[in-house]
Amino acid sequence: MSLPTSTSDLAPEWGRCLAACLGALGIGALLLLAFMIVVDPYDSGKFGLLGIDGVDDRDTHTATASRARDARFDSAVIGNSTAQMLDPAELSRATGLRFVQLYLTGGSPREQLAVLDFFMRNHQRVGALVFITDPWWCAHDRAEPAPGRFPYWLYGKSSLAYAARLISWPAIEHASQRISIGFGLRKRTDPDGFFSYEDIWLPGTFRETNRPRDPALAVTAAGRDIFPEVSQLDDVIKKLPASVPVVLLVPPTFYTTVAIPGTAEGVEREACDAALRRVVAGRPHSNFINYRIDNALTRDPANFADFIHYRPSIAARMVEGIAASFQLGQAARIDF
Amino acid sequence: MLFNDYPFLLVFLPAAILIYRLADPHPRLRIWTLVLLSLAFYGYGNPPFVPLLVLSILINWLAALAYVRTKATIVITTAIVANLAVLALFKYANFLAYNVGLVLGRPMPVLDIALPLGISFFTFHHIMYLVDLRKGKAPTYSLDRYALYIAFFPQALAGPLARWSQVMQQFGRQVYAPGWQREFCLGISFIAMGLFEKLFLADRIGQIINPVYAQAQLGPVTNGDAWLALSFNFQILFDFAGYSDIAIGLGLLFGVRLPVNFNAPFRSTSIQDFWQRWHITLMLFLRDYVFNPLVNTRILPRRFFPVQYFFAMMLTMALCGLWHGASWTFVLWGILHGCALVLCSLWRRYGPRLPSLLGWVLTVIFVLVTGVIFRAGTLDVAWHIFQGLAIPPNLERWRHLLPIFIVPLMAFLLPASQDIIELLTRRPRPWLAALVGIGLLALLVDLGERNVYEFAYFNF
Repeated sequence: MSLPTSTSDLAPEWGRCLAACLGALGIGALLLLAFMIVVDPYDSGKFGLLGIDGVDDRDTHTATASRARDARFDSAVIGNSTAQMLDPAELSRATGLRFVQLYLTGGSPREQLAVLDFFMRNHQRVGALVFITDPWWCAHDRAEPAPGRFPYWLYGKSSLAYAARLISWPAIEHASQRISIGFGLRKRTDPDGFFSYEDIWLPGTFRETNRPRDPALAVTAAGRDIFPEVSQLDDVIKKLPASVPVVLLVPPTFYTTVAIPGTAEGVEREACDAALRRVVAGRPHSNFINYRIDNALTRDPANFADFIHYRPSIAARMVEGIAASFQLGQAARIDF
Repeated sequence: MLFNDYPFLLVFLPAAILIYRLADPHPRLRIWTLVLLSLAFYGYGNPPFVPLLVLSILINWLAALAYVRTKATIVITTAIVANLAVLALFKYANFLAYNVGLVLGRPMPVLDIALPLGISFFTFHHIMYLVDLRKGKAPTYSLDRYALYIAFFPQALAGPLARWSQVMQQFGRQVYAPGWQREFCLGISFIAMGLFEKLFLADRIGQIINPVYAQAQLGPVTNGDAWLALSFNFQILFDFAGYSDIAIGLGLLFGVRLPVNFNAPFRSTSIQDFWQRWHITLMLFLRDYVFNPLVNTRILPRRFFPVQYFFAMMLTMALCGLWHGASWTFVLWGILHGCALVLCSLWRRYGPRLPSLLGWVLTVIFVLVTGVIFRAGTLDVAWHIFQGLAIPPNLERWRHLLPIFIVPLMAFLLPASQDIIELLTRRPRPWLAALVGIGLLALLVDLGERNVYEFAYFNF
């Protein structure tokens, strides 16, 4: 068995073949890239010449970029699906600001920080920020990101890294959706990003799933106060003008998953709460609220879809707490 | 650096072609240019192992020179033992320590060492050359030529295991000589074919069966999906054949014709036939450097020659299994294939002639079933898969798993990729070349959407 060998010396014809092959590859790639740059399939703001408004995308990892740079909003809710039920329209009504929902399904703190960075780069004036800090924020080790899980290239500063990712089937699909929006053949998804999971997890049902993923206990007492991602959030918040209100929330979970004070888990929780509280300490109109407590509301399964996803009844209380915090800061009375 | 990744395809390869184009008119620069490019390729993401590769080249080259000067066979023996010792240290030390610990009833210390990419392959390249040098078949070569034989980037990480005699004289030839355009067309065709096999066939099967093997780690696969696990051999066929085709294509772009590695193995009508079509260069190595010496050395009295012959066959296949990785499942897989080869030999001598179709069916079933042991990693996982075969497949769900049907059909029906390419490149057809260009673009687009899957043979 051997490779095919040349039986004729047809160099000019083979030269034409080579030119045809490389020409088709090169010209095809250039045309495709040019099309992508003109359309900007993810509405990232890095490219795009057609002025198409928004995306039709239910994948929060990619759709959030379009929302995060939308000039109609000046304030943001950032978190993962435990932030999803906070209705930005309700928050806007309660605070007078213009809120957009920037939750990432299954989003890790590192990913949420990437979204925050992108939001701040695209808004010269930030109205307010609400951060939903679920247990992942309390990890003592900064986990390496899983490759390919989150499109950091979409939220990063580099246009080149973004352009390199535009030669892909999903990008082509997104581009065709954007073209359809441009021609009025398809509606864009709601710009404020609110999507109630009650459409899927119907009211009145409680599934014993999604236990909160509390991080591993610190190995040493000294390590208990180290929260790398909270520190990173602190660095970012410190760069914001003091006039920008920031509220950090620990989302409520079903009471059986609340750490009991005095236990090792309880001590860990208190250490993380203290670290989060320090991020907004002294900042006007800002607050830290821990909703992960054992009370009548968190004992009622009707208030939860599962262990970590709360219903609108609790979300409404949280909106009230956020609005009160924006007015009175840490002196706000939290009714929960 | 992976052949199926943007950094290689869009940066390293175009840069390497350009640099070599500049070196090509200068005969003295050609080989060294390729050596340096190969070391850069090897060092990308793997820099700590570059000194190991360079040392390995230098020591073996010096050993060859010393042998030629002194004619002391101990030099060659020592060099071969040293090569095998380095391979054993990196690849088998922890396996050995673990098993010694089991025997002694206490855990042994574990070495925290990574397996250098391609160590199995460059060790075998050294051994092939040194053995032939001792037999008087191989001459000595200059350092640059020997270094390129070991490190030539298209074949350095996972073969094909080219003999020194197949490639040494090709190194340093002028690439951009009359007719180079056809070689480039051939090379690009092989690369496109290899990427297609890897991305559209092997990885698609991998996406389907990886969750099944993950499930088997937890317990028996009782949902009818265990049957999917049987298609592992189709995945590894197109994974490694794809890699080999890309390597051959890359070789052609730099003026080197590497040997082919696969010849439509799933069209084999016996297990002997299968092993003449699967990983051909490894099997030729094992035949010439393991099996033949074992058979030709007088160990048992002449009348027991068949026993020695079959023992050599079994041992060769067990070593073939162990070469793939430090695990008893690999050894078991090799022994099973050794048994099948012995059985096949005996049948051919004493049994009735099997119809080709029956031979094909038996061969395919045997290869697919033993493939589960190869892939499983542990006997428990393999057993969990086999237990799951008692439950009928969920064909309703499989309707959505098109690759499970298409990929095996391609393995059964299509000729070897080199035959397909020969057919397509018998005469120049610019329209077909343009289609290949568009196909390459589609492959690059496909690469852009997902994580890059490493080639399976990088682990061996």
